[in-house]
Amino acid sequence: MKAPKKEADERLLVEAAQADPARFADLYESHFERVYAFIAGRVRNRQEAEDLTSEVFRQALQNLRRFEWRGVPFAAWLLRIAANAMADRWQQVAREQGDPPPEPPDAAAAEDIEGRALLFQLVGTLAPDQRRVIVARFVEQKSIRDIAQELGRSEGAVKQLQFRALRNLRVHIKPRPENGAPGGRRAHA
Amino acid sequence: MPKPSLAERLDQAIEAMLGSGPAPGSADVQVQELVRIAAELRALPRREFKESLKADLQRRAQMPTTTVNFIREGFHTLTPYLVVKGAPAVLEFARQAFGAQEILRVKRPDGNIMHAEFRVGDSMIEIGEANDQFAPIPCAIHLKVEDVDAVYERALQAGGTSLYPPTDQEYGERDCGVKDPGGNHWYIGTPLSETHFLPDQRSVTPCLHVADAARCIDFLKRAFAAEEVMRHQTPDGIVHHAKMRIGDSLLELGEAHEPFPALPLNLHLYVPDTDALYRQALAAGAASVRQPQDQPYGDREGGVRDPFGNIWWITTHIKDVQF
Repeated sequence: MKAPKKEADERLLVEAAQADPARFADLYESHFERVYAFIAGRVRNRQEAEDLTSEVFRQALQNLRRFEWRGVPFAAWLLRIAANAMADRWQQVAREQGDPPPEPPDAAAAEDIEGRALLFQLVGTLAPDQRRVIVARFVEQKSIRDIAQELGRSEGAVKQLQFRALRNLRVHIKPRPENGAPGGRRAHA
Repeated sequence: MPKPSLAERLDQAIEAMLGSGPAPGSADVQVQELVRIAAELRALPRREFKESLKADLQRRAQMPTTTVNFIREGFHTLTPYLVVKGAPAVLEFARQAFGAQEILRVKRPDGNIMHAEFRVGDSMIEIGEANDQFAPIPCAIHLKVEDVDAVYERALQAGGTSLYPPTDQEYGERDCGVKDPGGNHWYIGTPLSETHFLPDQRSVTPCLHVADAARCIDFLKRAFAAEEVMRHQTPDGIVHHAKMRIGDSLLELGEAHEPFPALPLNLHLYVPDTDALYRQALAAGAASVRQPQDQPYGDREGGVRDPFGNIWWITTHIKDVQF
């Protein structure tokens, strides 16, 4: 993961972006997967995850000067914005549907946001053909047959690419406890 | 029968996890671990999304910190944009009938008006010549004046066609209707003592006759955070007249009926964040006409067509440009 190893590094990144908003791109690159992973585990579909992630980073950019370094990681600030954005969204939906709003998400919940964010980043390090299969299979939800046709490979070859990709990703991922439900609380459409 | 390969067994388990295949028998630990990773990958973000959001943030980061007002000077949140055949004739009509003051005229190479702006009372109106790309969109405008009878006479002398003569209405307005040479409907009124005009109502209020006005009101709330400030309707829910506030402006609407058929509007809407409101409008059911993009005249602008046929040019003024 590209997130700064040391607090001092992150502080430098934040201060650079506060002085020059064009440097916000560095913070975005460091934290995109983390914020997306946090949101994606709590919303109903991909569109909602993308809308909320956009909202979080726009708010962060807009309010960056208000962020004060008090030893709390920048990621915690971002996840707090995300938790508030989701709570606002759910309250709006609840008002429209007449339902009681759900409990607001807890930004500090100890779950494997980091693990999922790392996994998302690692996909970018796979060999191009393995990455293409992962994206086609799990993001675009294509069948092995369709992917094989698209790549001009046999179905067996695509299954091998899928297997190698997942095996390569597993090398970097810690095993999860058995009681962890796969795929977050709500699966993506 | 030989045992399927590990890659084959993995794919069977993934098919089951994705809900597109039968549940396999007991999978070995290695397969289970890989399926768990595969399940996490269903939430993998799209690379295109990550890149487009990054580009959007970079664009925002480059906006000058001493930002200009998101509404261009002289304008308000809502401005009617007339697209007509014969724009010069409509400009001349507005000058003679309403004392309109022309602020800006930009011509195309063929001499036709590409874009013009004129002021009536305290409000702006924009206008452009219709062509193959932009079909005519005559609008309805409610115009508040001090002396409706005098304005009605001038409007007819200026080439307007009477829709109805000045009449004292029970809703507290003496008003008339005139159609201009471009087909726009002007409902011209002078408030009476007990009037429906709001204290802050400006000279020009866009006026929407629409089929299913009640549903349109709901859409305006969801798409543009419009606030309903007045509604008169029949017991069975037919909206005669409603006023919606969007930003600092009002929009009037009512159920279309003869002699006031549905007449969609073409509106310029200034907002703090074009991209956000554009997405909000699409989520509320509008269709894209043009994705938001920076324009050389200093606005960032996106267009949507709502389910009732109205076109909204959602705009943020980002820098002042001398024309």
